[in-house]
Amino acid sequence: MEPFDLFSMRESYNRQQIMLCFNGPISRSLIEEIGNALRNYLAADHAHPSSAMDVFGVYIELTQNIRHYAQQKGWTETDASATVVVARNDAGHYVVSAGNIIEQADGEALLACIDELAGLDKAALKARYKEQLRKPREAEAASGAGLGLIDIARKSSAPLQGNLRRLTDGRAFVSLRAEI
Amino acid sequence: MSNFSIPGSQSTPAIGGDWDQGILSMQGDSYPENSYELFQQVFSWVERFLLEAGRPLTLELRLLYLNTSSIKAMMDIFDLLEEAHRDGKPVAVNWRYDPRNERVAELAEEFKEDCTFPFAILALDPAACAS
Repeated sequence: MEPFDLFSMRESYNRQQIMLCFNGPISRSLIEEIGNALRNYLAADHAHPSSAMDVFGVYIELTQNIRHYAQQKGWTETDASATVVVARNDAGHYVVSAGNIIEQADGEALLACIDELAGLDKAALKARYKEQLRKPREAEAASGAGLGLIDIARKSSAPLQGNLRRLTDGRAFVSLRAEI
Repeated sequence: MSNFSIPGSQSTPAIGGDWDQGILSMQGDSYPENSYELFQQVFSWVERFLLEAGRPLTLELRLLYLNTSSIKAMMDIFDLLEEAHRDGKPVAVNWRYDPRNERVAELAEEFKEDCTFPFAILALDPAACAS
């Protein structure tokens, strides 16, 4: 067993300018509580109100997408596990990342969707957003995280990044990163 | 005929419907996981008011952050108003916001783009929204 020492973890978090992170099963109330903490950090950090709202909005869409996905699949609460990190990058931008277990095929579709969104400018993203908003709810559910993903892309200052790591049993771990 | 009110919570807005005055008010953040349950009540009230009341309806909004499912639900409510407006029924929206947060005005503006009825986006006096 590794010796008990959180120092290296702390050093790593400090180096990556991580403000907040969470790993484990994520409930509805946890999303709210962590969201509260995030808002307090952003206020203490003197983030501009509109920028704080964008960071909070991206955090909410990412985490709620993870819960919706697990519910859709009929997975247990433990399967609705999320790894969430809010940090700052060297340019001083806030970066919100979230990862979760996903079926390999869904993960591939998600990455394809991210790639496609990356090629759209703000005006095209807005048009896509309005189009998705007008789709019936069933179509939205079938296409997965459509509207939320477009919303995140619109709030971001750089294209979304995604990464898929293959696990066993046809499942994978997907990571999404949004820079605000 | 029937008033209703739903107290606000951290993730849901305070909502009130005043049948006699013809006013529906909503204030606060809205990011419940399942916005459908919450907004269905609002939708039904507006639908019934427009059908039965025979009076003007005004939405007094001080909404802040909305998650995408709340945005979709609000769009459905604005679509109801748009339909009523096309039938010649007087409807209006007043959306007040704190000018220090321009995101709220941008959000309201995007809804307004799809509406032809009176839709006012009004900056509040910053001193009045210090909280």
